[in-house]
Amino acid sequence: MNRSSIVAIVIFAAALLALLSIGPQATRKIQATFFQVISPFLKTGSGLERQITSVRAGLKSLEELEKENAALKVENRSLKATNEALRDVEHEVNRLRHALNYRQRSLFRLVPAEIVSRDSSTWWRTVTINRGAQDGLEPEMPVLTDEGLVGRTTTVSDSIAVVLLISDENCRVAASVEGTREQGIVTGERVAGSLTPMLDLNYLSKQAELKPGQKVYTSGVGGVFPSGLFVGTVRSFQVRALDSQAKLAPAVDLSKLEDVFVVIGRK
Amino acid sequence: MIFFLLLAVLVFVAQLVEIFLPPLDWMFNAHIYIVPVIVCYGAVALPFPLMLALAFVAGFLWDAMTVQVLDPAHVEISFGWSILLYAVLAAIMHGLKPLFNRGRWEVHCILSGVYTALILLTQYLMISFRRGSIIFNREIWWQIGGPGLLAMLMAPLIFWSLHWLSRLTGSPYLPEEERFDEFSTR
Repeated sequence: MNRSSIVAIVIFAAALLALLSIGPQATRKIQATFFQVISPFLKTGSGLERQITSVRAGLKSLEELEKENAALKVENRSLKATNEALRDVEHEVNRLRHALNYRQRSLFRLVPAEIVSRDSSTWWRTVTINRGAQDGLEPEMPVLTDEGLVGRTTTVSDSIAVVLLISDENCRVAASVEGTREQGIVTGERVAGSLTPMLDLNYLSKQAELKPGQKVYTSGVGGVFPSGLFVGTVRSFQVRALDSQAKLAPAVDLSKLEDVFVVIGRK
Repeated sequence: MIFFLLLAVLVFVAQLVEIFLPPLDWMFNAHIYIVPVIVCYGAVALPFPLMLALAFVAGFLWDAMTVQVLDPAHVEISFGWSILLYAVLAAIMHGLKPLFNRGRWEVHCILSGVYTALILLTQYLMISFRRGSIIFNREIWWQIGGPGLLAMLMAPLIFWSLHWLSRLTGSPYLPEEERFDEFSTR
């Protein structure tokens, strides 16, 4: 082995050790910087992908009409999401009134965002959205659509953010089942054989008797996700040795996500 | 050096292209990976120090794209592991350089696929260790082996294209008899 190879190994090892020793915060900063650097490529690529998709779908319209249509779609989805939130508020108010209790609940402040890329990695399910810290986003913020919960933000750069989808095994959501007192934790599957994975609702009591079609909502426990967001619908249910588990169909078709909303606070 | 820079740029571009390549539904959601094949070519076409540098670039980009910081105190796989993985595999490939210089590419093409699968298998074992349980089913084997098979199929074309590029740029790392553009020698 010649001298230049030995020098290269020493430099390589030093750089590698330096990287291996960095903590989560520094890792997040490196990632945020990296995503900021590649954000123009991602946005351009996403734009091209959308154009190709729209051409493939045979959609031909004038630029102005497309813009207007896109703006109306965003407004429509925002209204639907607000409506969904109001429905949940109504549901919660009724429940609380029933219990002779009262708690004020405010509406969400939503930031609309577009999916610019889907993760190419095999073991993690994430998407990248075209909003970042300059739009008020921070890590650990819930992401949803008018149909239900999508996931939460993890790494946030100035103009781009990574969203960990609820179909990922690491995204844990405290949830409750409609019409019961059952509460559990929703997680994704480690590996899904299709583009539309199922979710697991774990740690239910052995007495739970869930039926297919029952809806599951966030319970608000844990602090990241507000209560009342639609997570999914029960598909199957099984009692295990110590607890019981339900399989859920996600409320949102995660394979066809295009626009989402990030909950940046309450009004 | 020009050829190394070209490979580094290609690794970056391939990493971005991979994002927009949808997983293959008919192959149990297997992804398509191009970067490991480029690194494998670099491992046999570049001298040892530049091979390490290319492995560093590829591993860094991979980690920057995929490392999951789940909360302020929890990273699933530390930043840097992919660099180490790429470097070890590329170093083994570098040992097969004499065979490559004799024009025998088939072993390297097959190894590109094996390495792609090995990278995924190692990542899977690491996350399984972190998550506290290990599962192996048909989907998982396909998601590990599928990209390997695809890389193996893509490797001859990618190797040929990169070799053509190395001749075009007059790469000084080519075997002596190949150092000049075949078109100019004819």
